[in-house]
This record gives sequence, C-alpha cells and structure tokens, in this order.
Amino acid sequence: MTWFNHSFEAFAYALLSIIFEGIPFLLLGSLISGFVDVYVSSERVIKMLPKNPVLGALAAALMGLIFPICECGSVVVVRRFLRKGLPIGSAVAYMLAAPIVSPVVAISTYKAFTGQSPELMVMLRLGMGFVIAFGVALIFQRLPRNRILKDSLADSPKFRRTGLQTSITSNSETSDTPAEPDFNTLVAKASPGKKFLLAIQSATADFLDVTVFFIIGASLASLFIGFKEASLIGITEAPFLSIIVLMGLASLLCLCSTTDAFIAANAFGQFSMAAKLGFLTFGPMFDFKLFWLYSMIFKKRVVTMLGIGLFIIVSFICWRIDAVEKSRNPALQTPVAETQETSPLTKPLSLELPQQ
Amino acid sequence: MKSLFNRWLPGLTLGAWAAAIFSFAGSNLLNEILAGSFHTYALIAASVMTVGMLIFFFFKMDANCCSAAECGHGLSRSNLGKILSFLVLLLPASAAFWASPAALSKIQMENRMELSVPPSIPKRPNKDTVSTPPKPVDQSGSQQTGPATQQQSKDAEAALNTQDFLTRDESGNIVSEILDLLYAAQDSVLRKDFDGKKISLLAQMMPESSNNPNGNRFKAVRMFMVCCAADARPISTLVEVEKLPDLPEMTWVKIIGTATFPIENGKRMSLIRAEHIEKTEPPKDAMVN
Repeated sequence: MTWFNHSFEAFAYALLSIIFEGIPFLLLGSLISGFVDVYVSSERVIKMLPKNPVLGALAAALMGLIFPICECGSVVVVRRFLRKGLPIGSAVAYMLAAPIVSPVVAISTYKAFTGQSPELMVMLRLGMGFVIAFGVALIFQRLPRNRILKDSLADSPKFRRTGLQTSITSNSETSDTPAEPDFNTLVAKASPGKKFLLAIQSATADFLDVTVFFIIGASLASLFIGFKEASLIGITEAPFLSIIVLMGLASLLCLCSTTDAFIAANAFGQFSMAAKLGFLTFGPMFDFKLFWLYSMIFKKRVVTMLGIGLFIIVSFICWRIDAVEKSRNPALQTPVAETQETSPLTKPLSLELPQQ
Repeated sequence: MKSLFNRWLPGLTLGAWAAAIFSFAGSNLLNEILAGSFHTYALIAASVMTVGMLIFFFFKMDANCCSAAECGHGLSRSNLGKILSFLVLLLPASAAFWASPAALSKIQMENRMELSVPPSIPKRPNKDTVSTPPKPVDQSGSQQTGPATQQQSKDAEAALNTQDFLTRDESGNIVSEILDLLYAAQDSVLRKDFDGKKISLLAQMMPESSNNPNGNRFKAVRMFMVCCAADARPISTLVEVEKLPDLPEMTWVKIIGTATFPIENGKRMSLIRAEHIEKTEPPKDAMVN
C-alpha cells in the first residue's frame, strides 16, 4: 500500500513512547482523584461551585486556568467529582476545557507559533476551547443524568467502593465497625495515616482502571505510525477538506495538549491556520484514547454523539474562520514553506546567537 | 485469590512499570523515547509507582475497584477479565524488552512529513557548538573594562565570534548539526559562520528522490522529537557527492564537506558538498530534541 507502511517492532516502540509520555499525567490525575476521594467531601464540592448551573458550568470551564491538567488526567478527576455529586454540566465543562484553557497550553502554543501570528492562534485556540466546552456543557446539563452517564455513575454517590471498606475493616482493631459502612463514615473515623493509605489505594485503583483504557487507545494511535502523511499533500488546497483531515489526524495521533502545538506549527506548514486550529482544538477534546476514557464515564452512544457533535462544531467554526481570514488577508493562502527568505516575522524566537 | 487480584497484582503492575522506566533510563533508552521535561516526569512517575508498590506490599492494601455497582470497568467483574486487564497493563512493559528504536525511526523517516522550516522549531542550534563566547581577558586573566581597551575587546570578541564559539574537530572542520544548517539557511547572520566552511556532520543516510537532477545527492537525516518518539519527525540536509556511497539506507555516516546554501526552486536550502563519507557508530543521543 502506498499510504501505509508498518512493522510490529515500530508499533511496539511507538506504543511504549506514548504510554511513557502519558503515564505521569495519568498518575497525577489519579493521585488528585484519590486524595479528592478521601479529603474532599461531596458537600464541600457542591458548596464550592455557584448554585446556578449555568454559572457553575462557566466557572468549571475556566478552572483549567487555576488547575491546569492534560486530557488524560482530567477524565480521572472528573469521574471522581461526578461520584462526589458534581453537576454534570460543570463536569463536562471542566473535562473539555481544562486541556485547552490553561496557561501551559497558552504558552506552548504561543512559542510554537512564533512567526505565525502567535497571539491570534492562542486567542482563537483558548477562546474556541472555552466557548465549545461551555456550550456542550449547557446541552449536557439539560439531559437526564441516567441517560448519559454509565449506570455505575448515574446513581452515585450512593454506592461506595466495597474493596476499600473490606480493607479497612480487616485492619480495624475495633469490632464496632459495621460490615459495610458508608465510605464517608470510614474516612471520618480513619486516623491521618489510614486516610493517607486510603487515598493511595483509591488513586491506584483509578490509575490501573484508567490505564487499561489508555493503553487500548494508545495502541490504536500507534497503528497510525504506519500512515504516510505525504499522501495528504493534495488535500491542502481544499479549505474544508484540509480542516477535517487535520482534525481526523489529531484524533488519531493522540498528542498531549501541552505539546501538540509544536507538531501543528512545524509539520503542517502547507495547511491553513484554520486547519491547524481545528487540529489543536479537536484533538484535546476528542481523540482515540479519549474515546475509551470517556466511555468509562458516559454511555458509548453518548460518547459517539459527543465526538460527532464536536467534530461538526469545530470544523464549522474553523471553516468560517478560514473564510474570514482569507478575505481579510489573501497572503495567508501562501504556505509558509514556500517563503524564500526569513522575514522579521519568521525569525526564530528561541534562536540564541552570540552577542555581536 | 482475592488478595492476589486486589493487592499483589496491582503492586506488581506498579513495580513492573517503574522497573521498565528505570531500566530505560539506565540504558539511556529513555532519551530515545522521551524529550527533555517528559524524561523527568517519567522518572518522577516511576519513583511514585515504586513507593505505591512498596505501600501495597508492606501494608494490607486493596485496589479492588470493581466489587461495587459504581465500577465502570467491565473487564474486572470476573477473574478472567481481571487477568486479561492485567495482561493489557503489563504487555507494553514487556514489549520494551524487544522493541528497537531503529525500527521506529525508519518507519517515521518514510512516513512523516519533514520539518523543513525552522522558525518555530522550539530549539536553538546545537547548544554545544553555538554558545555565547567568553568575555576577552588580558594576559593577567582579569577582564578589560576601561575605554582604552574597548577596541581591543571588540576585536577579540569578533575573532571569538567567528572562530572560537564553533567547535572544531582535530582537522579544523566545524562540528555541526542538521539544525545548525537549517537555521543558517534561514538566518543570514548565522549563515556567514557556515557558508563555504568545512564542516563535519553525523547523520543517517536516506535516498533523495525529488531534488536530485544528476542522481548524486542523498539526504543526511536526523529525527527531531518534540515530546515522545512517536511524534518524532525527520529533519534533513542535502548532501552532494561525486559518487553515491554504497551503503544501505539508514546507515549512520560521518560526512566531511563544504556547507553551501544555494537557492533552488525558489527556496534557500542547505547543501553539503561532501569530500569524505565514512560509516560510523550511532551517537549517544540519536534523537534530536
């Protein structure tokens, strides 16, 4: 095949590198989740957010600015908060926005797009991420919880993890602990040391649980190593097609949102700015590994609809942005790779030459 | 049986992942697989996982998430499912022992679009070869600051700028990286330091099909990694020789020749007119990041 070229060894190595890259963030998300499980009560979570669901979703969509976390970690944290009783709109807003609306992403995007209108790209990326996450959250807010969440989550926080209870009761020297006590009661009664252990085992359970799905997603993404990108070259002349192709590529590549801008800025020089924007907005919201991770929270049907919906919204917005940009500045149609000499705009930001 | 699934296997999985990361770090393969800061994150994660493993082994811990109705993890509702999920978790760590970075590089060189425009490559030219020159010092070793010595200072600095900040090999050739040449093709100031000079370069050989009118050119390629090996992309410079060396694709070669920056097809490009090419061992860090 002219567009596919693969070997098992390359697949294994690519898989390993994606996993090694993602595991620290999964672990961080799991640790946050574990400690939230033990140290943050459901009542406190509900008190923290505005009572108005719209304002709650709005605040949650901006939470990434204070608590930046990448897409792998945010799913684990959101799953925990949903179990703690967080309104679904706020959960969805945080889940979709946090990987994009964050200072880390803003800085990396700015740096990667040096010489390619970095301020505009940062503004559009973060702005689109926020608006889309907030809009989708408002839609989810109106849907019945039991129709979109997995059955195991829809009834939370009634059910608690019995494995943890068994562990604690078996270690407990007191016999007045009931056979299946409420988890909050267990935490309240635990000593500081036991609380810490509970948080660690809760984090480990989450980590192992989520990592299985992360590996499945990463395996599918690793198959993409065999795809020849050069076969996309002819597509760049069709504005809408180039946008959806880069969006599809983003979901296949499963890049981390903190670094994907470097790939978009460098490797896709012949694509339009709007296509790169689609790549940078859709990827962190919905890629192969996220499909599997979201499936741990939402019903498969809902995840599929979310993916299709996000694809349509992002591609439409980018298509309009492309039209506006080209009407305002026809020079944008000239691919960066074809410029002959370095203009002041394309001077490298990080080039550190000796002082003359 | 219950403690096997809820205590020992989770502990073992954490330990296996930590061991895989540490063994990669120990054999320098972590540099091949992850870029700069991700390398550090992975080592921190491995340390945390080691602590997690020890906690599981020394305390009566239980990581069973699937015994309650809240569990969304279908695989763990039966023992067979639990075994399958732990196999999924441990398989990539096991794959580490037979995977080869060379296999991935070859596929990527063939499949990935090349990074040919350096403006936004998030790195400066090779930090070992291009660095700020030291302030000129007088014979007594103290720095000259008075107005009478300003001209001398400028002259000395100019001499250092054009000569001493570039690392040279024993034959006087400038030891360069492909990134240096790509930047030089774009930046007129840096270009002066390389244009027409003898350089030596370490890279992998790949055939050139598009920009090769006389059939005497090949590409000297290195892989440039942004965050992990899976996203690495080739960067290359063209090499022109009298007769193409009879070496297989992907062979690591040391090229000695003259750096030139002609404009071809409307683009300024980097082209080495090679005088000597020899097969060599791969460098310690095969991926540029």
